[in-house]
Formats: sequence, structure tokens, C-alpha cells
Amino acid sequence: MTTSSDNQGVEQAPIRNFCIIAHIDHGKSTLADRLIELTGTLRREDIGEQVLDSMELERERGITIKAKAIRLRYRAGDGRAYRLNLIDTPGHVDFSYEVSRTLAACEGALLVIDATQGIQAQTLANTYIAMEHNLEVIPVVNKIDLPGSEPGRVLAEIESVLGYKPNQVLLISAKTGQGVPQLLEEITKRIPPPQGSPAKPLRALIFDSRYDAYKGVIAYLRVVDGRIARGDRLRLMGQGTELEVLEVGYFAPEMRPEKELAAGDVGYIATGLKSVGECHVGDTVTTTVDGAARTLIGYHPPKPMVFAGIYPTQPEDYQGLRDAIEKLSLNDASLSYEPESSPVLGNGFRCGFLGLLHLDIVVERLEREFSLALVVTVPGVKFLVTTTGAQKLTVVNPSDFPDPAEIEKTEEPWVKISVITPSGFIGPLMELVMASEGSYQHTEYLGQFKSGGELGQRVRLEYEMPLRAMLTTFYDQLKSRSRGYASLDYEFIGYREAKLVKLDILVNEVAVDAFSRIVPPEKAHEAGRAMVARLKELIPRQLFKVPLQAAVGGRIVAREDIAAKRKDVLAKCYGGDVTRKRKLLEKQKEGKKKMKSIGRVEVPKEAFLEVMKLS
Amino acid sequence: MSLYIHIPFCRSKCRYCSFTSYARREADIPTYLKALKRELKQRAGDSLRSLYFGGGTPSLLKAGQLGDLLENVASLFNVERGAEITMEANPGTVDKAYLAAIRRLGINRLSLGVQSLNDRELKLLGRIHTAEEAAEAVKMAREAGLDNLNMDLIYGLPGQTLDQWRETLGEAVRMAPEHLSLYGLSLEEGTPLERDIQNKLLPALDPDTSADQYELAEDLLTAQGYSHYEISNWAKAGRESRHNLGYWQSQPYIGIGVAAHSFIGGHRTANTSDLDKYLAAFANDSQLLPEMDEMLSPQIELAETVILGLRLGEGIDTDKIGQKFGVNLLSRYRPQIGEMAEAGLLERTGGRLKLTRRGRLLSNEVFWRFLPG
Repeated sequence: MTTSSDNQGVEQAPIRNFCIIAHIDHGKSTLADRLIELTGTLRREDIGEQVLDSMELERERGITIKAKAIRLRYRAGDGRAYRLNLIDTPGHVDFSYEVSRTLAACEGALLVIDATQGIQAQTLANTYIAMEHNLEVIPVVNKIDLPGSEPGRVLAEIESVLGYKPNQVLLISAKTGQGVPQLLEEITKRIPPPQGSPAKPLRALIFDSRYDAYKGVIAYLRVVDGRIARGDRLRLMGQGTELEVLEVGYFAPEMRPEKELAAGDVGYIATGLKSVGECHVGDTVTTTVDGAARTLIGYHPPKPMVFAGIYPTQPEDYQGLRDAIEKLSLNDASLSYEPESSPVLGNGFRCGFLGLLHLDIVVERLEREFSLALVVTVPGVKFLVTTTGAQKLTVVNPSDFPDPAEIEKTEEPWVKISVITPSGFIGPLMELVMASEGSYQHTEYLGQFKSGGELGQRVRLEYEMPLRAMLTTFYDQLKSRSRGYASLDYEFIGYREAKLVKLDILVNEVAVDAFSRIVPPEKAHEAGRAMVARLKELIPRQLFKVPLQAAVGGRIVAREDIAAKRKDVLAKCYGGDVTRKRKLLEKQKEGKKKMKSIGRVEVPKEAFLEVMKLS
Repeated sequence: MSLYIHIPFCRSKCRYCSFTSYARREADIPTYLKALKRELKQRAGDSLRSLYFGGGTPSLLKAGQLGDLLENVASLFNVERGAEITMEANPGTVDKAYLAAIRRLGINRLSLGVQSLNDRELKLLGRIHTAEEAAEAVKMAREAGLDNLNMDLIYGLPGQTLDQWRETLGEAVRMAPEHLSLYGLSLEEGTPLERDIQNKLLPALDPDTSADQYELAEDLLTAQGYSHYEISNWAKAGRESRHNLGYWQSQPYIGIGVAAHSFIGGHRTANTSDLDKYLAAFANDSQLLPEMDEMLSPQIELAETVILGLRLGEGIDTDKIGQKFGVNLLSRYRPQIGEMAEAGLLERTGGRLKLTRRGRLLSNEVFWRFLPG
């Protein structure tokens, strides 16, 4: 069903742009490999580790590029040669901003569902987004080769939840290849060709970007209108960045330069830009001269949802940490950071992340790729404190909080939050927001999908709450209470007065500002008790007794003691034991380096992150 | 020079054991002895001040086999007059005749693996003997003329109270051994005992009770006239283990047999722990390559000398060690010594540095601080 809008006027094969959306482990990568193999794009023996997931290609000069979009050539049953652009979507819903931009580059999506497990949280979350983008969704039930598969049951589930009749669903095994040739046919038949014209002014959507040491930022593009050739001078309509196209091409899956990319196609340009921060995902590219008037989609930079402080355990590693964060942010536009300092922890950074998973990934990469030992702390917000002396102070660090006696008024930032969720989860989410000091504003019904289905009714819930309460585990709890289906957005709506106190934690009588929290007074006792109890579990016994105290003002609200260690000895040490014993002692010595010394107490760096997770 | 010979055979594996020992392979003993002799030939020559038969269960050797082995050693080495010759024995494997025989052959020190004098505990540990058999063994040893006896005991057992330990210790002291080795139970991964504790069939070990038990032993044994000459070892005057003292004083030693370690001139080596590999190597008289071979750097050697020396009750002579390595120990280790002295774990008296009572129990905390780097 090719139409005249199939790239008219250009010598090009008809194009189909699609992505694969699936829950983890339902077979997205295997299916991608199979499509790559069956279209002859790569031979089976050249498909190393699954092409999309671990696509690190090396060219002669040792440049590595991660392929996110692959051009497959397919000769269909109707005899025509099609160009199928397979675009990869990020896995986790923490990165829903990126998912959304990727989908905007496609006309269709293969929705892959495991024949044993059926519909899962991520399948659905991404299906919602696909539908919001008006993509043609082809439901595919995968792994029918496995003995435990129940395609019949899953087909029924798909019909009931998503509304697709069984004859609209494909049954395949990506592993054996069964059903995949038919899937390729369906892709050409059901997914519409791209709309748009090469004659119109250039508009191309950036759906991903990566930094390359030799070529600068590589922008992954879906060209909607117009064409792009080497040497073109282009402009990012949202950010304003200007660039010259050093190279333009597609992914075969390795980067292959081409004369030009035209409307409807997917590929890349090498921009020569220095950081992905200059080339944001979601922005529209056009020509500097005679460019387009309107962007393709609204562009918003990804909003950090979770904030935390990151400090090196050893102060002399600060420089290393700074270099590491800078390097990491070259390829992670959603990581925000600014310098911060703490009397106890020294110099570090306050960072913003898309979610706790993003935080975990960033911390892990910083530690692993740059060999750092890090402490991650409870984050904070900016408070406005009016003192009795009529001074107005901005307080970010809890330790800068004035004495309660001197405080006339405290104000904290509030946000309006929007939670979009299937209606079945309203109860637990309402509970979560109320427990987080939120106040309900209203509910908006967003309507059903296709023929409905049990999760089809979606609502938008609006609340107002203090930003403070949203900072750490709120987002993750939102996800877990809604089985991953709910999404969150928020905006700042101003400062409001708050009755708050500073909860201090003292370890061996030294106040550890990294543990300090600003809490409502009625929660101080409970929060204090939870924190000292958790610290008692996390801090190993020292050579002396260690008191752990939670205090508000000068008043102790909770206390635990860690008894002094009495025994740490190797009983047997004869000739054959010496080497082994020495190695054990060396391990013990190494272990100390992963500790932060506070008031003579060796605190494991994990303790900081664990305490932060107590909400 | 000191010579150690490992006899890795046991009747059955105790439930806490993670040493190199093989149960139910006694049929391989003759072949093993042949292999030992081949290895001995390769390492022959030195003059020996001590000889030690350890295991496993050396007392599984028949008297004749032991005699043959001793003869072999005597022909290849110069066994000094008055050399200390120790043999480890399991109380469940010896009788009057055997003990008399080994005494005649030249064993002048017997180390009995008693572990506990509480039958319930012995069962828990998977030992093959009862408390009564242990007492019998001591009696028979005395009758056989063995007047330098050591008893091994284990404390810190799961669920073992301070009183139960006091009883075992008291019983042991009544048998008046010349020497006692007391070890806190170390839970090794993969042993039946560790599994039982993991699966909650036995209570978890309590480090504080363990510490109490150790301190009780210190008080009790001092009162009984034993000298606490090493962290885990007590002896009546003049009855310290000459062989083991060699380890803690960083003296050289040769180790023969499966898993045996040698230390000569700062060079440490270890044989394979695999019985079959060991037998195969000597089956065709080939050279057995050591499984571990480390040439200690001067820094490591210094650290080890200090750490091993501090295990001794008398501590270390800082000048003497300093001279040997060409460093001033007190200034090289000033921060560590200061920190540990302040924490009450080390003390300096008359040119010596030694662990305090608290320091002995927390000796690992002291020791890692003396490692280089």
C-alpha cells in the first residue's frame, strides 16, 4: 500500500520507520538480531553480541559509536525493495523522556510480549506513549518456541487489555525465526510510510545524541521535511546552537556516510559540537538560511526528579570526581550538577537525576569507570528563613539553618504535580501523596484506548506538595505503587510557610551534616529513631563505644549505642598460615579506604546512601 | 632449621574442618610415604633443631611406618641431639602400645587434638572420640613416658556458654598438660558447621562470649602457672613449642608433603594441596613445582616479622629487628604505634613492643596497620 507520498521525487526505496517496545527480557534484542539477519543486513556469524544492546563498533582509528538506528533493506512479497529503519528505545521508564523522543521518530512500533509472561508494566507504559504519538502498533507475541508458552492466554489478555483481536496479533519466535518473515511483510503493509516532503524547508528531529572524541557530537536524526547534505549549515531551533554538517549518513549498523538524508529517513550527522549539552534530544534541526518556522514537537529539557549530594570518601579525590562528572555529563544530558560543600564531607556536588535508577547508574559508573569511592548524601531544597532580626536568609545546607530561637518564619518551595495513571491505582497513589504532605487538587479523566481494557481508563491527578517531600523515594514509590504505569511531572509554584525543624544526627557526638534533615516537628522523633536504628546496623563496631544520637535543637530525640569491638583475631598462625593471613589483613586495610572517617568512626560509604533511602 | 612433615589423612572429616586433609584414603598412605621420601631426598642436608609431624591425623601412621620415616629423615638430615620431635595425634586413634612405640622411636612431644571435654560439643564438632577417650589418651601417654604433652582446645562454639568453657578448661588443667593451645572457632565457608548455622540449626557465634572465654582462659591459666607465650598458646616453664616459636620468630623452615609451606631466606613456597597431584609428581621422581612461590620484598618481610613477633607474649625487640632490616622501627611506625598505644592495644616496655591484654583479642586491628602501602 505504497502511496504517492512515498518520498516523491526522490530515487529512494519506500521507507518504514519503526521501533520495538517490550518489557525487559521479552526478546527485543533477539528480535532485532533476527530482523537484521533475515534482511541480510548482517550475516548470522557477524551478529556478535546482540546488535542493539551492546553495539560498540570500532573503526580503523578506534572510534566507538553506539548504533541506535539501523537501516534494513527488505525485498517484500510485492517485489519492491523497502528501507526499514529500526530505531532502538531505551529500556527503563526512568528514561521516559528519551523513549518519547524516540517514538516521535517512528510511524510504527512492534509491541513485543512474552508468550509465557504476558503483558507487563513496561509493555503497557510504553504502549501508552506509542498511542499518544499515534503510532501504528503491531502486537507480537514472542517466544512461542518455549515449552511453557501460552499464546492462547496471552492473546486473550492482549484483547482484553489493549483491544487487539487475535487475528491482528503475530505469533513468533525471535530465537528460531518462526513467524518473522511474516512480521517483515506486516511491517511493510501495516506501518504507514512517512509523511513529509523533501521539497519543504528542512525539519529533522534529534532523537538521540552521543559524543564522539573525533567528530564531536553525533546527532541521531529523523528527517521529516527537506534534505541534509554534508557542508549544510544548520540550526537547532530550540537551543539556538548552530553547526556545520561534517558528515551525514545512516547506520548499516556501522556508520556509513551518504550523500544526503531526505524526508522520511533516519540517520546521523556529525556536528563537531563539544558536548551533548549543546545538542539536546527532542530539538528540531533546520537550515540557518530559509529554515522552517515551527519545531516538530515541544522541546523541554528533561527534568531532574531526584537530587543527591556526591562526595569523595577521601578529600584528595575531589579533583578526580570533578573530572569524572564532567566526562560523564558529556554523554548524559539529563545529569545536572553544581558544586556543593559540607563541613563534614568536604567538597562535592549536588546532582539532579531522572530517578533513583539513574542515580544508581551514575554513581556506579563514576565509581567503576573512574575508580572512585563515593559517598552519596541526603539532598536538600532551598529554604527561605526569616530571622527574628528581620533578616531573610537562603538556606540550602541544613547545617546553615539558624537556631530555632532565632527563626521567625520558614518558607519552602512547593510544586504542583501531575500524576498520570490507570484509574486502578488512584487509591495507593492518593495514599502516597497524602503521606508526603501533599494536598489533592483535582482529577481529570483522559479517556479510554481503543476498545478499553482493564487498564484502559487513565486519569490525571493533580496535587500540590512541598518539593522537599518529593526529593528522594517519592518517585520510586510512585512507580512501585502503580506497577510502573504511572508517570510524574511537576512544576514549581512558589514558596509557602512551613513548620519545620532540623533533625541532626550525631555519630560519636559529632554532628554529621550529611545526615541532617529538615522535617516537620511531629515527624522528628520517628525519623530520628529510624535513622539511628539503621545506622547501628550499617556502622561496624569500632575500637570504642559509639553513641548514635538524633537531636532537634539541643534535645536528643533518639539514641542507640554501638558497643565497642572486643574480638578481631586470627587464632592459628603457623608456617602454612602466614601468607593467607597477610592477604586477609591486606583486605582489611583496603576496606578501610572505603570508609569515611567521622569523629574517629569509620563509616562505610554505603551507609550514606542507605540512610538517604529512608524516607 | 626446622622440618615440618604433613600427613593429610583422617579417619573422617570433622564438621568444622577446612584444612588439607583427606578422609577414607588411608590405602594411599604407603604410596604417600614413598613420595615423602623422594621429596625429603630433594631437600636434604640441613641440621634440624625441631621436627614436626602435622596433619590431618599423623597418628594414623603405623608405628612401623613412622619408624621408617624417622630413619629416613635421620639419614638425610642431621637431627640435633635434644631436637624437639612433635607428633600430632587424635585421641580416638591411639592405644597404650602405640604410644609406647612412638616414644621409643623418638617422639618426645605429643600434641593431642582434644578440642573439648564435653561430649555434646565433641559431637557437634564431629570428632571421632569422647571426652573419656581423651582423658584415657593422656593417661596412656604419661604411662608411655611422654612427658611433654600439648592439648588443643576450641572455644567460641555455637551455643557454648562461659561456664561450659570453664568446665572444659578446668578438666584439661587437672590433667596437667605441659602445654595448651586454645583456638576460637573459625567458621569456614562450605563446612557442615557453617551450613548448620546458616540454616539456623545452630545459634550464630557470639564474639562477645568468645572474648569472655578467652579472658577467662588467660586468668585461669596464669593462676595455674602457665606462661601465655603466644596469642593462642600457653606453656609451663621451658615447655614452649620450639618448632612453633620458629614461625613466630621468623626462623627458616622446610615443609614436606601435601600443602606444606617452606620459608628460607625471605623466600616462601608451598606445595600443592591436592593429594593426587602430589602423588603423581613423585610417582616418576619428577620435580614438584610449588603451587605458591613468593620472594618477599624487604618491606613485606619486615611487616611479617613485626606481625608474627607481636603474637608472642614477650613481643618484639624493636632494636634487634630494626638492625636486621636497617630501619628505625619506632620512627618508621610512629603513627601506628602511637595510635595503637593510645587505643590501649600496644605497650612499650624496656625496648620491647608488645600487645596488651585487649590488644591480643583485637590483634588484627593492630596488625593490618603495620602492612606497607
